[in-house]
Amino acid sequence: MMTRRALLLAGAGAAGCTPDRRPRLNVFNWSAYIDPAMLRRFEDERGVRIRYGTYESNEEMLARVMSGNSGWDIVFPTHSRLGPMAAHGLLAEIDHTRLRGLHNLGQRFHSPVWDNDLRWALPYMWNGTGIAYNSSQVTDLDSWAGLWRDDLQGRITMLDDPEDVLGACLLSLGLPFSSTEPRELLAARAAGMAQKKLLRAYLNAEVRDQLVAGDVLAAQLWSTTTAQAMVGNAALKFAWPREGFPLYCDCAAILRESPRAELAHEFLDFLLRPDVASANARVAATATANGAGQQRADPVLYPPDEVYRRGFWPPALPAAAQRVRDRLWTEIKSA
Amino acid sequence: MKGRGPGLVAALALVFLHAPLVVLVAFSFNTGRFTVWEGFSLVWYRAALADPQLAEGLWNSLVIAGCAASLATIIGTLVAYGMWRRPAPLLAGALYLSLLTPEVVTGVSLLALFQGGFRFLHLRLGFYTVIAAHTAFSIAYVMIVVSARLRQYDRSLEEAAMDLGATEWGAFRRVTLPYLAPAIASAALLALVVSFDDYVITSLVAGIDSETLPMVVYAMARRGVSPVLNAVSAFIIVGFGSLIVISQRLQK
Amino acid sequence: MTLRAWSLLPARLVSTFLLVVPLGIVLVYCFLTRGDYGGVEQPWTLENVERLADPLYLAILWRSLWLAGAATGLAALAGYPLALFIARSGRWRNLWLQLVLLPFWTSFLVRTYAWIFILRDTGLINTTLIRLGLIHSPLPLLYNDGAVLAGLVYNYLPFFVLPLYATLERLDNALPEAAADLGASPWRTFWRITLPLSRPGLVAGSVLVFVPCLGAYLTPDLLGGGKTVMLGNLVQNQFTSSRDWPFGAAVSMVVLLASALLLAGLLRHKTARELL
Repeated sequence: MMTRRALLLAGAGAAGCTPDRRPRLNVFNWSAYIDPAMLRRFEDERGVRIRYGTYESNEEMLARVMSGNSGWDIVFPTHSRLGPMAAHGLLAEIDHTRLRGLHNLGQRFHSPVWDNDLRWALPYMWNGTGIAYNSSQVTDLDSWAGLWRDDLQGRITMLDDPEDVLGACLLSLGLPFSSTEPRELLAARAAGMAQKKLLRAYLNAEVRDQLVAGDVLAAQLWSTTTAQAMVGNAALKFAWPREGFPLYCDCAAILRESPRAELAHEFLDFLLRPDVASANARVAATATANGAGQQRADPVLYPPDEVYRRGFWPPALPAAAQRVRDRLWTEIKSA
Repeated sequence: MKGRGPGLVAALALVFLHAPLVVLVAFSFNTGRFTVWEGFSLVWYRAALADPQLAEGLWNSLVIAGCAASLATIIGTLVAYGMWRRPAPLLAGALYLSLLTPEVVTGVSLLALFQGGFRFLHLRLGFYTVIAAHTAFSIAYVMIVVSARLRQYDRSLEEAAMDLGATEWGAFRRVTLPYLAPAIASAALLALVVSFDDYVITSLVAGIDSETLPMVVYAMARRGVSPVLNAVSAFIIVGFGSLIVISQRLQK
Repeated sequence: MTLRAWSLLPARLVSTFLLVVPLGIVLVYCFLTRGDYGGVEQPWTLENVERLADPLYLAILWRSLWLAGAATGLAALAGYPLALFIARSGRWRNLWLQLVLLPFWTSFLVRTYAWIFILRDTGLINTTLIRLGLIHSPLPLLYNDGAVLAGLVYNYLPFFVLPLYATLERLDNALPEAAADLGASPWRTFWRITLPLSRPGLVAGSVLVFVPCLGAYLTPDLLGGGKTVMLGNLVQNQFTSSRDWPFGAAVSMVVLLASALLLAGLLRHKTARELL
């Protein structure tokens, strides 16, 4: 049924005429980050259509919406991209008077460090970067420094992401994750190059199957992806590293180009409903920022308070520091 | 180098070319997720057929490839004919260059053009930007195939037709075009495949309604190895394989 | 306007507005300053072009040339006997040719994915070897230069075989036969007669393999596990994660220039020109 409708919609789009006159909301989100049933529910409740697209990285999303006429209404940038996107004039301000469910947000997300009064976006889902490991063959792996172990040669992966890899290098040396000090960054590069010899690859979500299959024994990975992998292999464990770890919150934002601000706000309010939030969190197997919708007490997804205190929300890097880091990353990758 | 040497290496090379695809298709019928044979099943095909994103991607790809291949075939055939009448080195150079430009560069340059254009014309990325991009890079393929056929074409045939009172256009339509028909058909097929297959350029110029099958496949491959992907691959391999075989039969 | 002028018009329009102008825009980008969040800004600068001389990027250029060269060499080793065999296989030659081309008609992504499926730890080769008891733990076949090379050769081998086959097919068989009659060994006949005569096809095939390999980015990305940076990846990264469009444009121009030079060299060969 869904298939036929999708075909019909695509066909109509191709022909440039729309048989379906319902207003349409265009939502661009991370892949596997929503319960499709909730989209249908919103469509039925409001008598609208949702065009739902997915992306795999912030960069992919930014590349599309940067021109300011992408056609999308709602996107889900990670918290550190909100500032730059707002500065670039891409985001519309959230009108709190249109949101009835704002109080459902978790305590930690009423006034987050990256967007104090929730001016640009609403926290949606969150997770952190830590270490996934196979406890049947690896023990005592609770620190970033543990990812430099010789005995795991060829069975370790790091994320394919400059911020996370350089950040882990810095943390393993006892330096701050978001350092902009040239001397510290050079030390991180040296650590990264030394580690590369031990690495199997730089992989993002693809590593999940390899963890399940036992090919990879230790991986720098997001808590969400690890939780998904754990379903397939009971020996997998997740460590929130001792040195500290970055937390990332993906937030629902309305693009300034959107001509449907009212409908977009209604969708955001819909996402704030506790039952909707909990359905979405269940399907995405991740931690919701919606306190009222949080059902599980999974220590991988929701670290206990004493662990959570070691985490931090990395800020956006200044452009100059970004340049230095890009170069170091290229050096590590091409070494 | 007469004897059996080349034959043996050729056989190995053919195995090298086909074995990966055969294995891929074979394991699309496997019950299990992993590369250990656990029994025959169509479960992954059912999963692929039930995926709305795949269905939409397939449909978008077919529409885009259909439009782009038609346009490229017409334009490419015309340009091959025009250059056969008298060479146009600058134009030929530009088209050959398009064939050799790395896809990333082509994609980025088109994105730059479209984004620049949008600022003034208030346009959006979408079906037509993808079709325009695909048409642009397919023309050279069509031109090469049709030119090859024209090289064996006897100029006097067209001249004779004109001597007998046909107009220039009439001679082209009645004499030259029928002669070129088989080459045009192969060229159209080539353009269709090239367009259907493209990921790099498409991913840069696609808009919100124009996600193609390769884009969906790439996103799936990024998320990890999945037998559903094997099933989709089998669809593509068998689909195009039979298209090629049928077209070869028709040309005989 | 004549029929010729009319027939060239659409291609002239398309090649001007969708091929030449976009490349022109990229060329202009090379000389602008990067915007903090992507895009380009004033003022004009030569900085991006100067950065190309940085040893880091020269090393990436060198590495890309090396990998593309190795892929071309391997394609030649596998493709030459194949083309020779097809050219000499009489009435079966069309069938063989079809067989060589068949994988090419399937999707590029599918072909690359097939190699992940075969090379990974739980892939076909490792599973089979372990079952046969030949090895105990999987060999690291994926995520290295070898895997990238296999993927490149696999994807572009038909590009090598086709023009070479076209040359060999047209080759006059009288010469090799005369050499054989005069007592030359098959190897000697091949080295002294067939190989030199097939040079145009060899050159055309090499260029057709080398150029796309030079700009490849999906293959190193998917099969190299992000541990290999080729020019294509460098360009891609500049336009996405690094958000440095002007430098990405400058690298693009280097790739394009290298490709154009190779093409110009190819077109100077009259016989090779006819193959295209």
